[in-house]
Amino acid sequence: MSSATAMVAAEEVASGHAPGRTAALAVTAVGVATPAGLDPVELARAVLAGRQGSADTEGLGDEALPPRGARVVPELQNAFAEHIGRKGNRHLDRTTRLGLLACQFALEGHTGPVGPRTGVVLGTSTGSIRSSSEYSMETLRQDRPYLVNPSLFPNTVMNCAAGQIAIRHGLKGVNATLAGGHLAGVQALRYARNALRQGHADRLLVGGVEEYCAQSAWGWHRSGALGIDAPVGEGAAFLMIEPAAAVHAAGRRGLARILACETAFAGGRGLGDALAAVIGAALVRSGKDPAEVQAVSLGSTGQRGLELVEQRAVRAALGGRLPQRVIRVKDTVGECFSSGGALQIAALLGAWQDQGAAAAGETAVVTAVSQEGQVGCVVLDTNELGTGELGAGGLGAGGLGD
Amino acid sequence: MSEPGTRRVVVTGLGAVSSAGIGAAEFTAAIRAGAPTTSEISSFDTTGFPHVHAGEVKDFEPREWLRRIDPGQWGRSSQFAASAARLAVADAGLAEEDLAAARAGSVMGTTSGESAVIEELVAEWAADSLKSMTPGRVAAAPAGRIAVAVNHELGLTGEALTLATACSASNYALGYAYDMVAGGDADYMLAGGADSLNRWAHAGFFRLGALAEEVCRPFDVDRSGILTAEGGVALLLEPYERAVARGARMYAEVLGYSVNCDAEHMVHPDPTSIAACIRDAHRNAGVTPEQIDYICAHGTGTRTNDATEVAAAREVFGDRIPPISSIKSIIGHTMGAASGFGALICCQALYEGFLPPTANVEQVDPALGAGVDPVPGSARPARPQVVENHGFAFGGNNAITILGRVS
Repeated sequence: MSSATAMVAAEEVASGHAPGRTAALAVTAVGVATPAGLDPVELARAVLAGRQGSADTEGLGDEALPPRGARVVPELQNAFAEHIGRKGNRHLDRTTRLGLLACQFALEGHTGPVGPRTGVVLGTSTGSIRSSSEYSMETLRQDRPYLVNPSLFPNTVMNCAAGQIAIRHGLKGVNATLAGGHLAGVQALRYARNALRQGHADRLLVGGVEEYCAQSAWGWHRSGALGIDAPVGEGAAFLMIEPAAAVHAAGRRGLARILACETAFAGGRGLGDALAAVIGAALVRSGKDPAEVQAVSLGSTGQRGLELVEQRAVRAALGGRLPQRVIRVKDTVGECFSSGGALQIAALLGAWQDQGAAAAGETAVVTAVSQEGQVGCVVLDTNELGTGELGAGGLGAGGLGD
Repeated sequence: MSEPGTRRVVVTGLGAVSSAGIGAAEFTAAIRAGAPTTSEISSFDTTGFPHVHAGEVKDFEPREWLRRIDPGQWGRSSQFAASAARLAVADAGLAEEDLAAARAGSVMGTTSGESAVIEELVAEWAADSLKSMTPGRVAAAPAGRIAVAVNHELGLTGEALTLATACSASNYALGYAYDMVAGGDADYMLAGGADSLNRWAHAGFFRLGALAEEVCRPFDVDRSGILTAEGGVALLLEPYERAVARGARMYAEVLGYSVNCDAEHMVHPDPTSIAACIRDAHRNAGVTPEQIDYICAHGTGTRTNDATEVAAAREVFGDRIPPISSIKSIIGHTMGAASGFGALICCQALYEGFLPPTANVEQVDPALGAGVDPVPGSARPARPQVVENHGFAFGGNNAITILGRVS
């Protein structure tokens, strides 16, 4: 099956039915805000050890929460005050705070220039569903329906976090928010790849944000989409993405290369077949053989009906096996919907960073699948960028290959 | 295999679901006539709101337009988008099975996603508790469902991307779709946007002092703000060569676009960034300011927007600002669909030969300076060759597309 899939993908390329290889992107920094900490190595260690992130839901509002596990970024208010500051930030909602924090860490780890030709690509599902729901509720509860707080109105719009990130750092390049749900990670990278190729920015902070709140927790609980033990979580992760050639030309080094970010829609096909096909196409586009893949970061852990479909598809695409390194972030961070994909990549990068030289030359696939028919795959590796050795970047000292 | 950007891209199908009618022909006729299609809101309870007018899509019966998806499982914005997409494909004279067999996808813009669904969930919350939310409604709430609905409805197997860059989102979508087709990543893309009327936005705009009572008058000395609105719009994009080969009608060629960010303020637009976006769009499209024959304005109807938009245009065009009109004076502000409706009317203007009007203008605001021609009244016969379509948004998300007459 896997060779058949690869063959189909190869035929598609040969017949002009799939685009060829494009210039690689470099990940030059990563920042996270997760229930398992504010550092991708901490996240990776927790994930690989099967350790749960914080479940402390104190201070998340007055609404009762569902009888289901939670994963919450601990002490967010304190971390935000320490790393971002309180001044002028009173009206920011939790989604925007998480996004600002993860971007702050990515920028702190970024060794190159930032400047106005930097942009943002942010994945979401509904923006802050708490902000829009509460705003809507105010129109019902106030004496007059329009007695809402005008300074909270921007929080109800899905591009709020991306706009605030741009304002804080003066990022005037392309600023995009995409509502990708479980596909948001792949879609954000795909959008970024195109924007960089078209010159709408020189470098992009690419990631996703999802906050834990009563509205989303009850939504997941009521939806029946999650297994009974699957916790609802939150988190944000952002990668600094630049054209690999530009990073190399500047004598800088990256954490990893992104070789492909492909998506498709199952349509009439089965989800598993569509996912296997998109993994195959992404590997062809990356110039990688399925046998070279040593790690997979899975997306649908905890989701009823999808978990097995995803694993079967990965096996099918990789020659009947799962790679030796299998990363499942959701036991640690919970169901993070639109930030799940970015967290899958961040955990992988954290694991690579933690392993140092031992991870050099490793290739990984990051998969995504939605109940509604969307499938996607990102291919990354730790091969050298250009002629420069892959090494220390945003993760602090002692990078891979050192 | 094509290198990025090497294929010419044309628009061959148009679809609209709007207060100005369903289908591109009805929509265009209404815009050309220049008579407002806004009305009193009936889709939510307006009791207690001083202003109760909006561009509402009346009498939309999704089952009349949708063949595959079950409207009961999809929110209003998704229904609008999928219906508009199906209309665009029919308008393009493209057989459904041919489209489904091709490398085809969709990219749709939105401001508030499935806001009407979210408000139904809030009503359940208000009536009882969050525990009482209906699972089917919860499933319909994510905004990403909008593009998913288009792919499901048309059996597409390519990308299904929903861009949530608020009120410029359709222009973002059109730009991205253009790149995908030009670069050979896709052979057909449906690009557009959708949004639904909702109480929270109506309340928010009223509290910002930006909501007009009954009439939207962009560029007029007596303007008083926006009218909220809803609808769905879709444009079918394909490579020029393919359109020629299948003998398709070509409304317009997508020449290029630009997106950038003010990075200054969440709700106040910045003329310098907008001017930079216009210049970048010209560069991307390979045109000069002198070549622009018409600007389809963001034109919300607020004093701030008018002043900013005209100042930005003046920075780029000097004293020769092309005719600049706002169709929001006719249909209201359709939010994430707005620049998609703008793109649609630009295509029609290029194909049929007219300039879209600004309705309700009695006296152009002298504070905007000399040389502002908002094409008052009804459509003006003309033969525009290259036109510019503006979209600005909360968050400082500017997006400008450039369309040309197919030569």
